[in-house]
Amino acid sequence: MASFADALRVLNDMKQARVVEDYAVAGAMAMVFWTEPVPTFDLDVLVFLAEDAGPIVSLAPIYDWTAARGYSTQAEHVILEGVPVQFLPAHDELADEAIERAATLQYEGVPVRVVRPEYLVALYLEPGARTMKRRERAAALRESPAVDPAVLEGLLERFGLEP
Amino acid sequence: MTDAPRPRSRPTPALLASLREGKSTLHGQRASMTLREKVALVLELQRVCLPLIKRHRRLAPWEQPWSVTP
Repeated sequence: MASFADALRVLNDMKQARVVEDYAVAGAMAMVFWTEPVPTFDLDVLVFLAEDAGPIVSLAPIYDWTAARGYSTQAEHVILEGVPVQFLPAHDELADEAIERAATLQYEGVPVRVVRPEYLVALYLEPGARTMKRRERAAALRESPAVDPAVLEGLLERFGLEP
Repeated sequence: MTDAPRPRSRPTPALLASLREGKSTLHGQRASMTLREKVALVLELQRVCLPLIKRHRRLAPWEQPWSVTP
């Protein structure tokens, strides 16, 4: 059986192969790196698609690359080493920054890019993403010592987000 | 006409503070687990939560416990 680290290795392989320019783990699995774990069934990954992918955003290069390596898809998820992964192209400047300023952490010896907690909270508080579940996660993160309140406040102000 | 509420004994502020402190300690302990332990807990939560979620709505095809080790 594969390990969670194997799925993370595939993300790094995709970056090395320039299928994606960069990536950062987001969502509930990013929370695992910063605070206590919450239930989740997929791994959200924010990505910058490769620059030569063209002006129209398409995940086809990702699906093609993973399919060529034998990874299946289920709905919009790619199953990487047993882990359903959803690739989310950066949708705005906040997401851009979340990827650019992601922390490079280690999981069982595998480097992994992870969205920093203040950006996770800000992403959860974006108007389009404000579900009850995400608000709860944002609240849980804000109680965590991992979040720097001054950094978070600056982000919310700069991106016009309501706390 | 309803009966007047029956007086009930209440927890002391000290007991409430102790219970809240216990909860806070539990969250802190979970947050300070190793990453491997946290991923193992996520896998365990998947197994526990899935039957409960299934009772309330149809599951997406990818909503399954992951076939991985932590």
